[in-house]
Amino acid sequence: MSTHSTWPRSRHAPGVVGLALCVLLSQSPAHAQAPETSDEGTLKYRQKLMSGVGADMGAIGDILKYGLPLQSHIVAHARMLSQRADLVAAAFERNVSAGPTDAKPEIWSKPEEFRQLTQDMKAEAGKLAEIAASGDAAAIGRQVKALGDACGSCHDSFRKPKEESYKRAGGGS
Amino acid sequence: MIRRSAAALLAGAAALYAIPALAAEPPSDPIARGRAVLEAAGGCSCHTDFDGDGPPLAGGRPLATPFGSYFSTNITPDVETGIGSWSDDDFIRAMREGRAPDGSAYFPVFPYTSFTGMTDDDLLALKAYLFSLPPSRLENRPPDAWPPFSWRLAASAWQWLNFAPSRFVPDPARSPAWNRGAYLVHAVAHCGECHTPRNLAGALDTSRWLSGTTDGPEGELAPNITPHETTGIGRWTAADIVWYLQMGLDPDGDDAQGLMREVIEHGYQHIPRADLDAIAEYLASVPPVENQLLEHDHGDH
Repeated sequence: MSTHSTWPRSRHAPGVVGLALCVLLSQSPAHAQAPETSDEGTLKYRQKLMSGVGADMGAIGDILKYGLPLQSHIVAHARMLSQRADLVAAAFERNVSAGPTDAKPEIWSKPEEFRQLTQDMKAEAGKLAEIAASGDAAAIGRQVKALGDACGSCHDSFRKPKEESYKRAGGGS
Repeated sequence: MIRRSAAALLAGAAALYAIPALAAEPPSDPIARGRAVLEAAGGCSCHTDFDGDGPPLAGGRPLATPFGSYFSTNITPDVETGIGSWSDDDFIRAMREGRAPDGSAYFPVFPYTSFTGMTDDDLLALKAYLFSLPPSRLENRPPDAWPPFSWRLAASAWQWLNFAPSRFVPDPARSPAWNRGAYLVHAVAHCGECHTPRNLAGALDTSRWLSGTTDGPEGELAPNITPHETTGIGRWTAADIVWYLQMGLDPDGDDAQGLMREVIEHGYQHIPRADLDAIAEYLASVPPVENQLLEHDHGDH
């Protein structure tokens, strides 16, 4: 007996299987109890997103400070940062300012200003991608600093300073 | 083409690393040297009231401390409201002994406790640079602090109890670079003023040198910059420290904030590369002190 004989012979079988799968999936727990958008989850996501921004900035820093032969990666990281700027704008649309977060409520009282600063980040990251492709070392350095300053301008207004951070250690000094 | 631009980039990496810095050789012109001293001191940015759009270095900036608010002074060469009438000796006495030309004591919010270690050369170059700037008229303001912390006599008493003018003394057992770094960190860049915890009298607790505090100037948290592995910057490389001081970006890619961002922007980023290396070498050598000020979110840095 060939193994083929174990398969359904009907031409409609694939459709039937597909339908059955859909029914099964629609009854799976994930669908039956679609989780409500949780504040905790929003905070966790936002923090991972911002850590990703830091990781790109840190990676660009490592390439430059150690003279790594990965110069083309600066372009890639800069492009990612440019994309992340849009993600940041979108991720902070939902107002969650309570709980373990360093986001200041001002993000939602001055949404236009916040959004503009994410667009500044996007513009500076885009410029870095262009300049990095050009290979002008001094210009790259200046642009990394300009991008870092864009991070700083937004953090100045919209991120809690270290002394107010939820990460402040209990004991202090 | 790609290969060539990558090679150009690589070749330029060393230059890039040093871009914001001045030439390594100290300039012979005292005014240019003085400017470099000012930059190594963080641009003396506490003397500019940025929030109030005050003129550069004309003072008037409120500096919040646990004892109340003090206002920085006018260090432009305006004769009536600034330091325009000061002699070289007046300037050196202020910086090294914390005394005004009339002999009264300055409050220790003015970090003469660090500047006391500066060389005559650096001090006079700094004065020459300050005197080359345009004068701005702005009266100094008395402190907005609680008695007795607002009394000049209290500042005298404080000095008598907590302060002895002293030059920086090089350690002959260490390298010239280490000594240069120690001089910059202790005296000119006055790192300890923010990064060292203070005792109840507001004097630096040197047993916890550079280990950070939650009660820094302007109420800011100043991180632990000793090489302690988990609570300080023990995992930073020398290159990380240099990069941070040039770019204002830490190894995690996060930006410097508050006063640190300000002193990088107005000063430290221009420190010559050799001096930044010296600072990194010295910082790696100070005793690590465990002092956790922030929880570590990623288990690294």
